[in-house]
Amino acid sequence: MLGLTITDKQYSSLRATALGLCLLLLSACGANQVIVDSQFPQPALDPIPVTMGVYFSEDFKTHTFVDEPEAETERGWIVETGAAQISLWQTILNAMFEQVVYLEQAPSTETPSAQVQSVLIPTVSDLQYAIPAHTNTKVFELWLKYDIALTNSTGDPLAQWSMTAYGKTPEAFMQSNQDAVGAAAIVALRDAGANFAVNFPKVPAVSEWLKQADHGTSLREDAP
Amino acid sequence: MKTSTLTQAICLTALIGVLQGCVTAKVDEMTYNPPEAGVGASSVVLLGRRHASNYDTERDFVQCVRNHIQGKDNTIEIVEESQFLDALYPWFEPRTAPMHPGAIRELLAQPAVASKIQSLDTQYMIWIDGNTERTDASGSMTCGVGPTGAGCFGFGTWSDESNYEAVIWDFSNQAEVGRINTTTSGQSYMPAVVVPIPIIAPVKGTACDGIGEQLLQFLSAKY
Repeated sequence: MLGLTITDKQYSSLRATALGLCLLLLSACGANQVIVDSQFPQPALDPIPVTMGVYFSEDFKTHTFVDEPEAETERGWIVETGAAQISLWQTILNAMFEQVVYLEQAPSTETPSAQVQSVLIPTVSDLQYAIPAHTNTKVFELWLKYDIALTNSTGDPLAQWSMTAYGKTPEAFMQSNQDAVGAAAIVALRDAGANFAVNFPKVPAVSEWLKQADHGTSLREDAP
Repeated sequence: MKTSTLTQAICLTALIGVLQGCVTAKVDEMTYNPPEAGVGASSVVLLGRRHASNYDTERDFVQCVRNHIQGKDNTIEIVEESQFLDALYPWFEPRTAPMHPGAIRELLAQPAVASKIQSLDTQYMIWIDGNTERTDASGSMTCGVGPTGAGCFGFGTWSDESNYEAVIWDFSNQAEVGRINTTTSGQSYMPAVVVPIPIIAPVKGTACDGIGEQLLQFLSAKY
């Protein structure tokens, strides 16, 4: 009986070891996975006096870039940026606008958002990366392309534009490819925030809308 | 016998420490209105330029210049680069960083930026732009491990070149008050007969010392 117990224990530990080895082998053969997660600094911005609604789609919240390997000998890439996107955009938007309302549903005539002056909908339309093995340089690079829509409270488009962001990080001693791509993604996200914050009021249609919103606010303030 | 081995080991270590490749350095300096009594209680910030597509000013170089200045005059308060970039996000990112001192006036027109800069009490902003790159490498080396031991045989050589420029902006006058340029180059060697002996030319370190020393003379009342 005692002998049987010891054999069971040995068997269990053997099974655990075999499982561990299999997982190790599988992870070695699987894709390079990068989960981008970062906190972004509080922006030094003077808020625009509007109440902005923001809608993050489920695709945006869980944005993941998957790059299948071209050859059997190569490893693919899975870059998860969803959590970091939300963290960045919330940090930027909360500082950019006097009031921000996060919406659960996209604005439409059926589900209008009466409490907001307009709704901002960012989407990631493309992500590209380059690693030293591809480019023969000592730099990891990552590009992001966003499509941004500004709609009124019932979902009618007010403005629509594209925005790019770029991040790079040099090769470093003892740094894995995954860590380097993650670091480049954080630089790219910071760049996205900077690009949006600085250029938002310069988009012609947005500039026009801001003038109207400002005029509307002035009229409301002047009303007896 | 043991003493002899120890002596040999010490000699080898000392030789490796002493052997350094030759470096040629050139420093050009042009500064106006240096603070007569040093920067006093105000702070200075050293920032690396990172807007070029083909290179980034290395963070460790900026840190090296900072260490050089503070190592010789610890009364100079130098704001950490990352702290400054975070405090003034998004205005000093590669895409948005001001390229000329006149742009500071536009930045200071924004109350949020002005209050952050006031809280940091920054008097001088120093932009460091440049990098160190390997310009040439040749030679070969073979290493092996056998039952009797391990060893290498061969010869490698490479040359590095640094080119950095530090531009000093006076925050209160929103004007450029100095420009320091350093160019250094050096050849490193690695002969290996059983043990590889690196003879490294401290190209980047010399550039760091060159810029650091000139900045120290500008900022410090002691020098």
